[in-house]
Amino acid sequence: MTEPSESLPEHLFRHAAGRLVATLTRVVGPARLDLAEEVVQEALVKAVEVWPYQGVPRNPAGWLYAVARHRAVDRLRREASLRRKVAALAPLTAEPAPGRPGEHDDQLAMIFLCCHPALSRAGRMALTLKTVGGFGVDEIAAALLTRPAAIAQQLVRAKRRIRTSGLRFALPGPHDVDERLDSVLEVLYLLFTEGYQAHSGERLTRAALCEEAVRLGRLLLESPATRQPAVHALLALMLLQGSRLPARTGPAGDVLRLEEQDRSRWSRSAIREGFEHLEQAARGDRVTAYHVEAAIAACHAATVDGGPTDWPRVLELYDELLVIKPSPVVALNRALALAMVEGPRAGIRALGRLARHRALRGYHLLPAALGALWQRAEGEARAARCYRTAERQAASAPTRRFLAAQAARLRPVARPRGRAPGRTGRPRGPAGRPPAR
Amino acid sequence: MAKFLMLSRGAAITPDMSPAEIQRILERYRDWTERVRRAGNLLSGEKLRVGEGRVVRGRQGQPVITDGPYTESKEIVGGYWLLEAASYDEVVAMLKDHPGLERPGALEIRRIEEFGPRR
Repeated sequence: MTEPSESLPEHLFRHAAGRLVATLTRVVGPARLDLAEEVVQEALVKAVEVWPYQGVPRNPAGWLYAVARHRAVDRLRREASLRRKVAALAPLTAEPAPGRPGEHDDQLAMIFLCCHPALSRAGRMALTLKTVGGFGVDEIAAALLTRPAAIAQQLVRAKRRIRTSGLRFALPGPHDVDERLDSVLEVLYLLFTEGYQAHSGERLTRAALCEEAVRLGRLLLESPATRQPAVHALLALMLLQGSRLPARTGPAGDVLRLEEQDRSRWSRSAIREGFEHLEQAARGDRVTAYHVEAAIAACHAATVDGGPTDWPRVLELYDELLVIKPSPVVALNRALALAMVEGPRAGIRALGRLARHRALRGYHLLPAALGALWQRAEGEARAARCYRTAERQAASAPTRRFLAAQAARLRPVARPRGRAPGRTGRPRGPAGRPPAR
Repeated sequence: MAKFLMLSRGAAITPDMSPAEIQRILERYRDWTERVRRAGNLLSGEKLRVGEGRVVRGRQGQPVITDGPYTESKEIVGGYWLLEAASYDEVVAMLKDHPGLERPGALEIRRIEEFGPRR
């Protein structure tokens, strides 16, 4: 039995799986991604069979690496067409693993492969989580609010696409790095946003999505080829917004609005790091949507000590964002910022203009935002109606509970609960992201 | 103190377990192993290879060798631990939080017979 080792590093298996699959894929080629994944899975299963009896080895990741490599060599020997690759695997035996030089580039190449623009957006997300993040199919399905079978199918399709399109396992060259990086950043931001939405029952899994997106963002910054201002901007955005995650739900798992949150629970280290990346992000000449969104998130994070939000600045930034990313959701957020600057009725008018937008039909945040503004404009009956509409349209249980509670508070009997505006000396009402939380 | 051999019988691990699930299981085994080791009850443990083996029988004084044993899949002996304890009761008490009990299968405890000066 081996010596007792320290407790297992957090996410050891998930991260080791991602690193091993990347290294093996470089050798066997992206068309054989399946083989890489299978032998790594076999190594993980071997560990759970052996370690309960023999203890955790001194170098757990190295153990997994040795077993996976051994399996890969075995498999390749049996496949005549891949005999040559056995020779390619041989030098790996001599390499100290993990943490050997080049491993980092393997992981980056893997991220670029999984986020290749030739793959569907859903396929990119699923494949990145599975192959880079080491998440299981069921976990991905739970995090992305879909069925495991649907994820399994997306993975099969994405891998087939990698084979048929002959996608390469390599870092992009200088001519296409911007476009390829955009595709990677889009996937990371989608993963983060998915994780940030409150969802009952699977909060842990969903927080893991945010963490994973941040981890991959940091990974991109470690290589000169991908150390770009837009990456800093996205990381700043994710860190600043993610700093509120610990404060975003109440004891019963209910969603709390930004102004209801206990700011002492915001993560100060995430805010600090977020501001650092925001500074680095400003060193480029391209202003991306991530830059502007990070600046908005920074306006909110700046109130961590209880100071007021600079709403005119937030409104200005939303105007800027609308130019870069004209979307009805951005317009909705801008309307809320406008309400904070010019009053609720200005916001209601702006939202009214959006109501006919097809993309916002059935989107619960629109009636939720209207409800919040009517509440501030003393139109309580209308506010309650809006909240009920929003409640019917919301997907997640905590969000529905939140909206139902808002509507219930507006009933005459429930009113004396000190909802007077300005009670805290700060502007109350929705913040930048409706309902800001 | 007496020595006990504890065999773990059960089906093989499902091959599609996710890395996080595998880590959770191993952390629970670590907790159990650490606790029992610190208490001085754990001497060693080994995993046995599954799906192979030899059974040797004597026929008219000659060894007859067959492959196996191929027991039913849920009866496979996956490995063993060597424990030290005062009694069966003490061993059983150690198993309250044994992660192996969460899966179908069984832990089989056999006391090792000891004679001689140690007794």
